[in-house]
Amino acid sequence: MKLINESSKTKIVNNTIVAILAIYGISQKRFDLNEPTLFHQLVTEVISPVQEGLSNSKKSLSAFWENYLLIVNTSKENHVLKKQISRLESDLTTMEEVRKENLRLKRLLSYSDEMSQQRVMAQVVGWDSANEFKVIRLNKGKKNGIKVMAPVITDHGLVGYVYRVTDNFSDVLTILDQNNRVDVMVERTRTHGIVEGVFNFKCTLKYIMRNEPVEVGDKLITAGVGGIYPKGIKVGMITDITKENFGMTLNVEVIPSVDFDKLEEVLVLIPNETAVPEAPIAVQEKKI
Amino acid sequence: MRMRFSQIMISFAITLGLLIGFEIVTSTLLPAIGWKEYRLTFNVLVILFMAIRMDSPLVPWLIMGLQIIHSIFSIEGWALGTLAGIIVMMSANYLKEILQLTTAFMTMFTVQLFQFIWYLTVTVIICLKISDFDKFGLILWSFIPGSILLSLISPVVFWLLGTIWRVPNESGPRGVEI
Repeated sequence: MKLINESSKTKIVNNTIVAILAIYGISQKRFDLNEPTLFHQLVTEVISPVQEGLSNSKKSLSAFWENYLLIVNTSKENHVLKKQISRLESDLTTMEEVRKENLRLKRLLSYSDEMSQQRVMAQVVGWDSANEFKVIRLNKGKKNGIKVMAPVITDHGLVGYVYRVTDNFSDVLTILDQNNRVDVMVERTRTHGIVEGVFNFKCTLKYIMRNEPVEVGDKLITAGVGGIYPKGIKVGMITDITKENFGMTLNVEVIPSVDFDKLEEVLVLIPNETAVPEAPIAVQEKKI
Repeated sequence: MRMRFSQIMISFAITLGLLIGFEIVTSTLLPAIGWKEYRLTFNVLVILFMAIRMDSPLVPWLIMGLQIIHSIFSIEGWALGTLAGIIVMMSANYLKEILQLTTAFMTMFTVQLFQFIWYLTVTVIICLKISDFDKFGLILWSFIPGSILLSLISPVVFWLLGTIWRVPNESGPRGVEI
């Protein structure tokens, strides 16, 4: 008597082959850097413009929601008037958005003027669709000079670095992601540590010895070690310090200086090919 | 019920289109209206449908195809979800006698149960990859809010996918053989 029929055999063989392929894929997978395949590049180039378009239509969508959908139940007599008001309000919302965008871009530009590196301004068009990864997609890519491992910042501080790049789009591994480790130092005490993403848009500062005089409210800046981030970029602020009864280090909670909830435009710093890796500390401190 | 290969390809292409639509909603539309903290991982829901409702040697390959498309929208890549999908499929196969998705509540309950198996697998692998099991609880916990929402909408999505794959409602959990 056959214990396993032909169909079951095929299932087992297929499951095993795909599982082996997946295990191999996982073993080769790097969550800190990625070279996209040709297929990946092609599909990204086709789909990302849709994401960009949707992201750009955000203002119209919210204006539509606020100004039209919420007045559906108003009386007929007021319909025309309300419509006019809605249109005017919508115009005002759009103008206000443009004004705010202008302000943000100005701030970003004046901040980046202090940087010696080339920079590319880009818009956030999407977020990683998986829960466990905090990655953003930008609407600029290789054609704009963006390279893998290029640091990404705003006028508030560090966002992350470019994880993978296609011709017109790039993905940025933010500092909220557990796979991104940023070498930082406490601005006041010059104590070194590593910032890692955890959960709830917060980070943790690791490897701070128990006897270090760090305090809640201390600001963190990039240490310039590791070859990705230039020295002196704001990273975040210490919001909580816990001392366990055991262990040599402190548990330090950090809130990033960038408000990722409101992140819309960023600057990608293009590393100069001939640049000296680390600028003198005095210059770096002036930049902060 | 058996499907012809051409029918499978058509259903699969429609499913891929649906997945792309779902992924755009999760990665762009929801963050644009301020929903950034939790993701609705629709790929998990689509793969759970494949794993729970279909009975075929082709399913692992279909799961792999869906995950390859998902990897366009996430740095998670294709492999992690493919392995999780196969583990879920094998668990579903093992439990097929007791799985009865005859009511919306049962569908939600089953989807929640298998999502838990999925996220447990993914969390263990991620912790192994980053060599840090301290984050096990946090990573697993981060999946919970999104997974509950996904379970709540699962009857609708399963009905939609059932229509695409021609899975009759009354046929029980392992409805379609392809």
